[in-house]
Amino acid sequence: MSRTVKRTGSRTDARTWRPLRRVLAEPGTPYGRLALAGLLGLAAAAATIGLLAGSGYVVGRAALRPGLSAIVGILAVVEVLAFLRGPLRYAERLVGHDAALRALTRWRLWLYDCLSPRVPAALAGWRSGDLLARAIDDVDALQDLYLRTLLPVAIAAGAAVIGTVAVGVIIPWAALALGLPLLVALIVPALLTWHRGGDEEVAALGGTLSAQVVDALAGAPELLAFGAEGRLVQAVEEVGVRSDALEGRQARVGTAATLLVQVCLAVAVTAVLAVGVDAVHAHHLGQVMVAVLPLAALASFETVPAVPLAVARALEVRQAAERLFALDDVPVPVEDPADPAPLVVGVPEVVFNGATLRYGPGLPRALDEVDLQVPPGGRVAVTGSSGAGKSSLVNALLRYWPLEGGALSLGGTDVRDLRQVDARAACALADQRAQLFAGTVRSNILLGRPDATEEEIAAALRAARLDAWVAALPRGLDTPVGEDGVAVSGGERRRLAVARALLAPGRVLVLDEPTSGLDPVLADELVDGVLAAAGERSVLVITHRAHEAARCDVTVTFEAGRVVPPPA
Amino acid sequence: MSEPTPRRQPRLIDPDLAARIPGLRLVAASAVAFGVVSAVAVIVQAVALASVVDRSLLHHAALSTVTPAIIVLGLAILARAVLHGAADLSGLRAADRVVATLRRQLLEHALALGPGWLSGERPGELSLTATRGLRSLHTYYARYVPQAAAAAVIPAILLVWVATQDWLSFVVVIALVIAVPVTMIAFGREATKRSERQWRRLGSLAGRVLHLIEGLPTLRAFGREAHGRREVEAATEGVRSATMRTLRVAFLSALSLDMIAGFGVGLVAMVLGLRLLWGELDLQTAMAVLLVAPEIFIPLRRAGSEFHASTEGQAAAARVVEVLETPVPASARVDRLTGSGDGSGGGSPAVTGRAGLTIADLGVRYEHRERAALTAMSLQAAPGKRVALTGPSGSGKSTVLATLLRFVEPATGTMAFDGRPSETEDVATWRGHFSWLPQRPHLFNATLGENLRLGAPDASEDDLHRVLDAVGLADLLANLPGGLLTAVGHDGLTLSSGERQRVALARALLRPAPVLLLDEPTAALDPPTVARLAPAIEPWLIGRTVVVAAHEPVLLPHFDSVVALPAAAALPLVGSS
Repeated sequence: MSRTVKRTGSRTDARTWRPLRRVLAEPGTPYGRLALAGLLGLAAAAATIGLLAGSGYVVGRAALRPGLSAIVGILAVVEVLAFLRGPLRYAERLVGHDAALRALTRWRLWLYDCLSPRVPAALAGWRSGDLLARAIDDVDALQDLYLRTLLPVAIAAGAAVIGTVAVGVIIPWAALALGLPLLVALIVPALLTWHRGGDEEVAALGGTLSAQVVDALAGAPELLAFGAEGRLVQAVEEVGVRSDALEGRQARVGTAATLLVQVCLAVAVTAVLAVGVDAVHAHHLGQVMVAVLPLAALASFETVPAVPLAVARALEVRQAAERLFALDDVPVPVEDPADPAPLVVGVPEVVFNGATLRYGPGLPRALDEVDLQVPPGGRVAVTGSSGAGKSSLVNALLRYWPLEGGALSLGGTDVRDLRQVDARAACALADQRAQLFAGTVRSNILLGRPDATEEEIAAALRAARLDAWVAALPRGLDTPVGEDGVAVSGGERRRLAVARALLAPGRVLVLDEPTSGLDPVLADELVDGVLAAAGERSVLVITHRAHEAARCDVTVTFEAGRVVPPPA
Repeated sequence: MSEPTPRRQPRLIDPDLAARIPGLRLVAASAVAFGVVSAVAVIVQAVALASVVDRSLLHHAALSTVTPAIIVLGLAILARAVLHGAADLSGLRAADRVVATLRRQLLEHALALGPGWLSGERPGELSLTATRGLRSLHTYYARYVPQAAAAAVIPAILLVWVATQDWLSFVVVIALVIAVPVTMIAFGREATKRSERQWRRLGSLAGRVLHLIEGLPTLRAFGREAHGRREVEAATEGVRSATMRTLRVAFLSALSLDMIAGFGVGLVAMVLGLRLLWGELDLQTAMAVLLVAPEIFIPLRRAGSEFHASTEGQAAAARVVEVLETPVPASARVDRLTGSGDGSGGGSPAVTGRAGLTIADLGVRYEHRERAALTAMSLQAAPGKRVALTGPSGSGKSTVLATLLRFVEPATGTMAFDGRPSETEDVATWRGHFSWLPQRPHLFNATLGENLRLGAPDASEDDLHRVLDAVGLADLLANLPGGLLTAVGHDGLTLSSGERQRVALARALLRPAPVLLLDEPTAALDPPTVARLAPAIEPWLIGRTVVVAAHEPVLLPHFDSVVALPAAAALPLVGSS
């Protein structure tokens, strides 16, 4: 497979926020819902400010002993705000999560659309499953950008404005005394966090650490037999210590950011209080307000500590986004022609003519001037050791990867002139992985042809030697498979993939290692069944077993991408 | 999720774990100490602010007369901030220590439990525990434990103080504080009931999306990409609505905490206002109580919001303890892992005139297996002798080797090397007698050179070249861009199975141990390669005992003896002997 994707993202400018902007600019981002969540959160923050300031007013006013009627109104307001705050925040959480999950749906589809034209050949690491698992994790991480960055920052900034305006209405100087520290508390800790550095290193060390642990456990027998376990534990520990040290440094930046917010709070509260005391002393301000002002200042800061945390989260999301967009930057290997030719009817002849294929410049040729014919109705076996180029044959035939030189034609038409879907429709592939999808046995074998009749299904099952297995299933063809369904062994899965290919309308059957994992007797039965059922269709079998090759008209052996000439 | 209450959280600290890791009690204790001091700072802050308000509001005091109190106020806020930061950092440091200790213990113990235990799903599970699991445990120690301690201490101190100031406010606040666990438990039960079903559904929907994307090549082969896309969309939308149903219930406990905290302030303000009106209280006291009241609820809310970290951390801790408490079988006990497991190997390759390897009447039974894996197997091999261990698959050839390496405990029989019975030697010393080519060799994620030096850390570069030449990999080495420094293994160069087998053979030959155990050494090699291999490795076998396990004598042209194991069906059923 090609090695086009680097393991780490680009490191051009570590501080760029372009990936985040690209996430936020994605069309279909549910900004309406996010705005609603933000407004609800802001309302909750405003209610907090009102609740505390109002309480201060109640106490300050009551201290002047004015009579019950003077405080009843404001008391009622305070109790209403006390009641409202919780539900407002609850609503904000629900609306925000709903918006983030809607965005997640978009991103899952984005990933699907991004991978679709590139798998399996264009993405290194696809086969091992690591790439996919990480991409899915990365997509899941994107929702934090909305939930844990965008909303908290917007709400904190909005609450700061509301608090500043509120104290400014009471006495203009207080707006300055509160507004300036708030501004500093919002911006400086955020910048400090944004520039804390080390994120890439921490992620890389984390990857190294888990790779080492997996490696150590997988190779445990050798470690023990060779008495090397102590060295490996030591190595894991060293990486762990380095990783802890880096993370500790980041945590100290986080602590400093929080500390800075608190310093600003101290300045704001004391300054606002001083302004209030002075104004009351000078009779510029009703004395009750001196109880209101400091409480309003304290409440205005309530959402601010969330900001540096939000920035830290954004840094993690940025890494995820960078990795995802790197996938999107991998060139699409095969494009459809502008003016596609029609595909001939019937069983097309497959002709590889001096076909050369390479997964990247500088890499060895996976197919090296391969000549291979599968005449209509022909039975051709391809053998060779692993890595000899057998699966590249499939990649070329199914148009997952383009030829670099030579030609491949289907029914006399060069595949480059065919639409990819037409070229694939001419083939029916039983691939090595024999992927099953969540659903029933039936839905899985009908993947290639959803409208197959019961008789056709039964015939395909017989040919694939699955009839007895299906008959023994609790609900026959409608038995669920996959995680919630019946357990399917590797051999059964392969045979299901063969039945699926037999049912599909493609006239060229391509069977990639159909019998690996089967016992020899069953393997022979399967091959005989499939060759008989194939009828007038062509069959291309990729196999490492001589038995299967012997049942075909022609056997072609591959070595290092080349066809080995038959012994004279 | 059983939802314990935040105020009771400190009890959730697993006593088992606390006993194992001395740092843990210290984390909790220092968090309590920080909590006490920070509660005092809260009170100082409230009293200072209240005194300024009191003097200004009632007496129109000049700024200069209240300046000292304002400074005290500012200093109290700063003191709280510094305390908070210090608590954070010390929690973090303690968590680092705990996690580093556990990571080490976990790996050492898993390795000591040996390959028999480390089979099937275990390595995957265990590496998740050692990475993700320990990470959540880190969060648990660094954040949750200190916050749980603070949630226990700070509200208690503040409540006592409120009680000394105004009993009616105290009654209001304590009623609300008691309501916290009550509502949390009620909502928690409801959430548990509903969420278990939902989580299962969520898991299966997420799995469906994964399989669809994983199966994209298949979908493309059949031209069904559009169908797959619709399925992904439907499943993801399903995830969303199921998640939202869960969250509506799960957020209720946060809602109840928010509302209780809101009412805490609202009701206290009302009580204080009325008592001031009736002249039962002075402004200074009322203002201070009003400022302290919300602070009682803040630690509770914080601990509640970290609850998730607690359940995850607890689960991880439970898994770690489970592994650590799995007893190591007596045969594989390692006394000083790092001390003895330095890979330097045991004896010297040139051993002559000694008894060599003796196996007598060896029998092995695996748990949960119907038949014994091996019965009454005997073998005698003097230094320099070559033994073929033959038999059909399943007859126990690999079991013999595993038993020799003390991965498996024999049910009967004895093993000895140079007359020293296996049970008299510590396991690392014993293993030092052997070098091994496993049936499915693992190449480590390291350079080719490091892999070769696995059992011979001091081998010279020249040795490495000679051994690669012997196994016929000199050409491969010559073509490698990085030579011996080329990375192999999972993330490195992809080698064919034949190349892997020969690298592993080279690794086995390089180890200076008197006995070579070769398990199916030719399985991945074609006959011409094997024919070239036999004479080339000959110099590496001189003076050593060689045991080759395969279905028939392979690799070497001549064997001094052949030990044929009977087919599995001929072995007695367990319990019948």
